[in-house]
Amino acid sequence: MTSRTCKNCGCSEIDLDQARGNAVCTSCGSVLEDNIIVSEVQFVEGSGGISSAVGQFVSADGPVKAPVLGTGFHTSLGKESRAQTLQNGKRQIHNLGSQLQLNQHCLDTAFNFFKMVVSKHLTRGRKMAHVIAACLYLVCRTEGTPHMLLDLSDLLQVNVYILGKTFLLLARELCINSPAIDPCLYIPRFAHMLEFGDKTHEVSMTALRLLQRMKRDWMHTGRRPSGLCGAALLVAARMHEFRRTVKDVIGVVKVCEATLRKRLTEFEDTPTSQLTIDEFMRVDLEQECDPPSFTAGQKKVKLLQLEQELAKKLDEVQGEISLYQDEIETELENSRPRLRGIYAAYSKETDPLDEVFSQASCSSPTEVDPEEDEELEAVAQHFNQDYICQVIQGQQQGGEGGGERGTEQSPTPPPPPKVGPSLNSILGPLPSAASLGLCESIQECFSVDKNSDDKSERGELDLDGIDDNEIERYILNDKEVRIKTDLWMKQNEEYLKEQKEKEDRIAKEKEQGTYKEKPKKTSKKREPIRASTAGEAIEKMLEQKKISSKINYDVLLDLNSKGGSPALPTTVDEPPPGAPGRKRLSRRKKQPNKTNLSLANTASIMGKRLRPLISSTPKKKRASSQVTPNLTPAAALARPNISSPPTPTGPTLEENGPVAYDEAAREEEEEEEVEEPCVSALQLLGGNEYGCEAEEEEVF
Amino acid sequence: MEPSNDVALDIIITNVVAVFRTRCHLNLRTIALEGVNVIYKPEYGKVLMKLRKPRITASIWSSGKIICTGATSEEEAKQGARRLARTLQKLGFKVRFADFKVVNVLAVCSMPFAIRLIDFTKKNRPIASYEPELHPAATYRIKTLKATIQIFSTGSLTVTGPNVQTVATAVEHIYPLLFECQKPLRK
Repeated sequence: MTSRTCKNCGCSEIDLDQARGNAVCTSCGSVLEDNIIVSEVQFVEGSGGISSAVGQFVSADGPVKAPVLGTGFHTSLGKESRAQTLQNGKRQIHNLGSQLQLNQHCLDTAFNFFKMVVSKHLTRGRKMAHVIAACLYLVCRTEGTPHMLLDLSDLLQVNVYILGKTFLLLARELCINSPAIDPCLYIPRFAHMLEFGDKTHEVSMTALRLLQRMKRDWMHTGRRPSGLCGAALLVAARMHEFRRTVKDVIGVVKVCEATLRKRLTEFEDTPTSQLTIDEFMRVDLEQECDPPSFTAGQKKVKLLQLEQELAKKLDEVQGEISLYQDEIETELENSRPRLRGIYAAYSKETDPLDEVFSQASCSSPTEVDPEEDEELEAVAQHFNQDYICQVIQGQQQGGEGGGERGTEQSPTPPPPPKVGPSLNSILGPLPSAASLGLCESIQECFSVDKNSDDKSERGELDLDGIDDNEIERYILNDKEVRIKTDLWMKQNEEYLKEQKEKEDRIAKEKEQGTYKEKPKKTSKKREPIRASTAGEAIEKMLEQKKISSKINYDVLLDLNSKGGSPALPTTVDEPPPGAPGRKRLSRRKKQPNKTNLSLANTASIMGKRLRPLISSTPKKKRASSQVTPNLTPAAALARPNISSPPTPTGPTLEENGPVAYDEAAREEEEEEEVEEPCVSALQLLGGNEYGCEAEEEEVF
Repeated sequence: MEPSNDVALDIIITNVVAVFRTRCHLNLRTIALEGVNVIYKPEYGKVLMKLRKPRITASIWSSGKIICTGATSEEEAKQGARRLARTLQKLGFKVRFADFKVVNVLAVCSMPFAIRLIDFTKKNRPIASYEPELHPAATYRIKTLKATIQIFSTGSLTVTGPNVQTVATAVEHIYPLLFECQKPLRK
């Protein structure tokens, strides 16, 4: 009801009449507004004389458009996506939260977090389950409840680190600073689970004290709080004369045995462990320890130092030994009869050896590799040709390892034949180029040090500092190429075959004109299963259906009191690792054959449980164009009364396909009425896939 | 307490990752069959080539994009990349050395004192995060530098950043913060 100036006369005195709904100018009498809309609360008289207000409550985050206009018939059958998401989220939060025994306040807070997340579009590209779990964990942290991320991951069967990643991201985006986990929070929970009876409180107190001591001793930074709790509780239990084994504690605390033992050992290293129980309860030591990983690092450093000192000492000893050797050699030479004339030339043979010898002895002190020291050490015991060979070996090894240092070495003497095999065994199956390459690479070390990057902007390759010879060695010659090709072809035969088949298929389809560009997802068309009992139906379904990762097959086995095969989970749960599509199919076909027998029993029990849920089947399940070969072994086992040719192995299954189909069709007709109730159990377990497939078949 | 500037911290660069493009299509099979230190992974569609001289592993895609990892300095990375390009050239492809860029540098550093992680996290709340259930180190992300520092309670740090300069700056940035939350060593 804006009071404005009149259009005609400019007068600002306007009369508003509520009863008529008019706005009239008082001076000139022109009507400015007619039928003014009124916004007031109206009341209506209901049955029994009760008056109630007219109107609806509309929530802030409900559907944007007004749901009811005029007549009031429901236009909103499908709500907006946002509302659906939130509703879905709320439901999941309540599900998960009740499993964790969170109270209503926590669940509401979690839902608020979830709303924030959705409004920031952080749910995009993330699994809903992960986001929900992260929201719940956020609440747990802010409230300080003793729930671990591990609990959540147990419930969802998701990797802890994936959940952790989501959680960290959400915490960062929502700017929620959750306080750090205090292991003391978990003590009451674990103590309760370990069943100490009346003394639970005392044991908890002791464990808390132990934990605080551990904190002072720097054992808790960077460690999982649950591991520390486990160690503290174990010790506390023993102190109060409760017998709790490591296994009990592990089951409750969810760390592995090795971790627990390690924590205990670390605690043992602290001075507090030396106190008696009474002393511990009374006295608190002042001294604090260093973190255990730090002390481990220090030990390593010390060991290295010791080694270096040892090496130095060895060198000294080496020097002494070589001195003695020199003396001995000179003595020997002097004592040897002098050869004159033609034989004088032969006497010089010893010289190159001497050279090498003396070189080895003078060069060894300069190289301080611990590897070489070991070798030289072993070598110092021999005073014959072997010694020289090994020294050369050591030199060459040292030369390789320290080639960058550019130690001065004479061109390697042609290695005596003895060294040949041992070199190869050390250097591995490298071609002979390696020994040559040493010299070249060492020379390169001196020459290659500069880099100029002017030309690289335009994309031209700057060849400065690149030795073509070396690059040549990176490329195999023809013969080697052929050998490698053969090897590679043999190695990757399967992959190549698949590629070829794929190409053939594409070529064929191109000829036919039915080639589709995008990769086709082969939808498996399964024949609807007909079985005489619910148990059989379930059995067959389990074979056909993709083995779900959400089913805990161990529980299924437990259902069977007669005892199914324990090997079931291993064969069934094995997901074939990222292999190409065809491999996957072939494996799955073989799997059900193995698991058939054991599944039969569990399936029958499951069937009995599901019977009350059975309802009538739709008729459209009859038609099918393809048969999965799996049915045939199932049919053979399930109904021995009906004769069907047993199918021996995997590949031949496909050939027997059409035959089996006819039989199956006949079987369908025979026992139609009895089967109808059972198939719907499949429907329940099989979910939506069946329905969709049936529809697809009809379209065809 | 002001940290003394005389302390020289050894920042050791352990890994440098660089990318470049050859601006031409590469036939992976040829490279796989004619190269010496080559592993062909047809499922991932790439070839791994390892050089010995600057110890470098390169992932080569058929589009001509190459990622080089394992170098210990930026210079080395560039040299290795050029060597690689030269090898490919010799194999017969018309390679050009284009768009060379160092993408990531990983360095380690050690403080002469131990650090109280919980205190440190409390003081630097949103920037630092510490989840002992997931990882033993506290993570500190510097948005302006685009660097991430992982801080362990023993005083070791691992720093990752887009280039060596950033890494050095990050260490300098974080030193005073760590100094406040230090725990003096006993033994």
